[in-house]
Amino acid sequence: MPTQEEKELDEVLVRDLKAGKLEAFDQIVEIYQRKIYALAFNMTRNQMDAQDVAQEVLLSIYRKIDTFQGKSAFSSWVYRITLNASYMKLRNRKKEQYVSLDDFMPAFNKAGFQNEKITDWSENTESLLFSNETKGVIEKAVDQLPEKEKVVFILRDVDGLSTEKVCEILDLTVPAVKSRLHRARLFLRKKLSTYFDEFHAKGKKK
Amino acid sequence: MICCKECIDLLYDYLEGNLNTETAASLKEHFQDCPPCISFLKTYQKTTSICRESLAEIEIPEAVQSKLKEFLHKNIQES
Repeated sequence: MPTQEEKELDEVLVRDLKAGKLEAFDQIVEIYQRKIYALAFNMTRNQMDAQDVAQEVLLSIYRKIDTFQGKSAFSSWVYRITLNASYMKLRNRKKEQYVSLDDFMPAFNKAGFQNEKITDWSENTESLLFSNETKGVIEKAVDQLPEKEKVVFILRDVDGLSTEKVCEILDLTVPAVKSRLHRARLFLRKKLSTYFDEFHAKGKKK
Repeated sequence: MICCKECIDLLYDYLEGNLNTETAASLKEHFQDCPPCISFLKTYQKTTSICRESLAEIEIPEAVQSKLKEFLHKNIQES
């Protein structure tokens, strides 16, 4: 979440850039290039795509700063154009990688009680957490999320933005953000459960 | 008493601290009698934290940074 100082600095930089000061642009690049690249990389999971997006977004900031009216925070505007550029990259790909989240939601019996065995693997992830295999499983699962849920999950849970900020960037209501995030987490929990359960079952057999 | 389905539906608001006292209390009551839902709660929370640890902190590779710089330099001088 940007602090008040960061917001004020953004406002000064935007004003200076509109006045044609190149140093202001250099500073904006310095502040935002990592954020833009990281968001684009998490959305596309591809270095070339993230680099293209970063180039495009930074150039857009320079060329289109006059169209930024200051109705939302500058950072929200930057996030929005980054997401739009990332969506364009994703559009060019096959749709098959996406799954239907409904197939991965928790299952209950008629009385509304848990219908599947729920194991608690939360205490047993340490040895696995930094393995490339675990990282790969997480990345693949996040990539399978439909765009709507994926973007909310990345902004809110990975980047740690506030719900209000995510609402502003995506022009969504609080309940809409909440419902997408909850579904994303349920899907990812299910995917990780399958992975950790299998892993620990293998371990026990040894 | 609330059922597991209601419990899972309320999980998000419970963790955000958005529930009123009464609803939060009935959720806690459910957890006391339902180990599977406790496991669900713990793994739900863990999911967020391990995804964050895996995916956050992405740095721009040096090579990408210098390409960006070069690209901007070229395009901004021309415009």
